[in-house]
Amino acid sequence: MEFSIIQVLLVGLVGFIAGIDQFSFLESLYRPIVLGPIVGAILGDAQMGLQIGASYELIMVGSMPIGGAQPPNAVLGGIMAVVFAISLDSADFEAALALAVPFGLLGQQAVNIWFTVAAPVMSKMDALAAKADVKGIERLNWVMCFGIGVLFAVIAMIGTYAGAAMGVALSTSVPAWVWTGLGAGGGMMKFVGFAVLMKVMISGEFWTILLAGFASATIIDAAFQKGNYTLVIIAILGGAIAFYDYQLNTKIKAVGGNGNKGDSSDGI
Amino acid sequence: MASNLANNYKDKTLGATLDKQTLNKMVWRSLFLQMSFNFERMQAGGWLYGILPGLEKIHTNKDDLALSMQHNLEFFNTHPFLVTFVMGIVLSLEQSKADVNTIRAVRVAAMGPLGGIGDAIFWLTLVPITAGIAANLSMSGNYFGPILFLLIFNGVQFAIRWFLMHWSYKLGSSAIGVLTQNAKEFTHAASLLGIFVVGALISNMGGTTIAFVIPNGDAPIVLQSVLDGIFPKLIPLAITLTMYYLIAKKNFSVVMCIMCLLVFGLIGAFPFIGLF
Repeated sequence: MEFSIIQVLLVGLVGFIAGIDQFSFLESLYRPIVLGPIVGAILGDAQMGLQIGASYELIMVGSMPIGGAQPPNAVLGGIMAVVFAISLDSADFEAALALAVPFGLLGQQAVNIWFTVAAPVMSKMDALAAKADVKGIERLNWVMCFGIGVLFAVIAMIGTYAGAAMGVALSTSVPAWVWTGLGAGGGMMKFVGFAVLMKVMISGEFWTILLAGFASATIIDAAFQKGNYTLVIIAILGGAIAFYDYQLNTKIKAVGGNGNKGDSSDGI
Repeated sequence: MASNLANNYKDKTLGATLDKQTLNKMVWRSLFLQMSFNFERMQAGGWLYGILPGLEKIHTNKDDLALSMQHNLEFFNTHPFLVTFVMGIVLSLEQSKADVNTIRAVRVAAMGPLGGIGDAIFWLTLVPITAGIAANLSMSGNYFGPILFLLIFNGVQFAIRWFLMHWSYKLGSSAIGVLTQNAKEFTHAASLLGIFVVGALISNMGGTTIAFVIPNGDAPIVLQSVLDGIFPKLIPLAITLTMYYLIAKKNFSVVMCIMCLLVFGLIGAFPFIGLF
C-alpha cells in the first residue's frame, strides 16, 4: 500500500508532537497506545492502529526512562509498528511489532545523539543568565524543544515513506513460518520489559511478592474469564500490602531511630 | 562557572510573596522541565525556564536576578513529575534571600531522592496499571482505551504537580525534612507494590502458548493443555525469569534479549519443529 504525500506529512506532524511530548508537556501523548489509533486513522485503518498500538504499549511497559536510561524509542517504534501493520495488511500483526524494533533502536540513537549535540547550548545559556536575559533564556529553551520535535518528524516521515515500500516487498517474498516466528518473538518481547523492571526493583525479599502477584493474577484471571478487573483488584491487594509495609517500617524506624548504627543519626 | 559566583544577594529584604496565579503558571511551565535536556547538565535549562516567573518577582535587583539565574543553571536532574516539590522549596528559599550555597545544597538534596520515588509512582506503578487496563480495552477494539489512559495518567500527574507546588512552597525548607525523612520507607513500599504488579502482569499479559503436539496415535498429546492442568502460565513465567537471569546476571542488554527472542521465535516456528 502506497501512502500519499499528505499522509506522510501528517505522520510527520504526529512525529513532531510526540517527539516533544516524550520528554516535555504531558509525557503521555507519545505512548504507543495513544499514537496507534491516530497514526492508524491517518493511514486509513484506525481500528488496526488501536490494536497494534496497545500491543506495542505492552512491549514498552517495561522500557521506561528509569534513572535517566534511554530505552528503545517508543515514538518511532509505535509509529512504525502501525505503518508496517497497515502496509502488510496482515491479521498476524505481531510480526509488524518485530519489524518496528529497528526503528525503536534508531529513535534511541537519535535521542542520544541529540542530547550530546545539545550540550554546548548550555554555555550560551550561561551567558544569557549573566545578563539576566529572561526572554533570551526562554527563547533558547523553545528552540531546543522544537529541535527534537523536528528531528523526530523527519525520521518518522522517512520511515513511513521507505517503510511502507519495505513492508510490501517483505510481505510477498517471505515464507509463512517466518511471519509466525516473528509473531512469536514479538509476543515474547514484553517479557524483556518485565525482566528490566525486576532488575531495577527486585531484591531478595521481593521475590515472594513477585510470585504472590503472579499467583493472584492467575487466580483472578481464571475467576473472571480474563476481564479488565484483574489489574484493578491487583492494585487494591498490592496497595494494601504496600501501605502496611510503609506503616510498619516507619514505626520500626521511629522506635529504633536513635543510635541503631552507632553514628549520629537524628532521632525523630 | 559556578565557583566564581557571589554567595550572597545584594538586596537582603524579603522578596515578594508569590501569589496563586504565579505558582499556577509555574505548574504549567514545569511540564517543560526537559525541553532543553542534554547530557551535560540534563534538565538545568528547563528547570530555570520553569522557575523564571517566580525569580523575576522575587529579585527586583537585576544583579541578584542574574546571580539567581546563573546558579539555577547548574546541573539539575530530578523526576519530571515531582519537580514542583523542588520548585516550591527553592523559591521559598530564594524569597527569604538565603545564601546561594544553602539554596544549592537544598536543591541538590531535594532533587536526588525524588527520582526513585517518582519512578516508583509513575513508571513502575501508574503506567503499568493504567496502560494494562487501557491496552485490554484497546485490544478488544474499544477507542475508550487510549482516552482512559490519558485521563487517568494526566489526572494523577496534574494533581501531584499542583499539590506539590503549593504545599512545598508553603512549608518552605522544612518540607524537605517531611518527605525525605521517610523517603526510604516510602520507596520500599512503592517498590513492593510495583513488584506485586509486575508479577501480576507476567500472568495477566503473558499470552505465549506453544503449539507443540506429541504424536500418540488417535489421541495426540497437546502439550499446552497438559501444562494448563499442572501450572497455567508456566511459559510466560519461565521466559521472564530467563530474561531476568540474562539481564541481571549475564549482563545482556535489552537489545540482545530482544534479538534472542526473535531468533528463538524463528527457530521455534521453523517447519518440522512446530513449537509455536
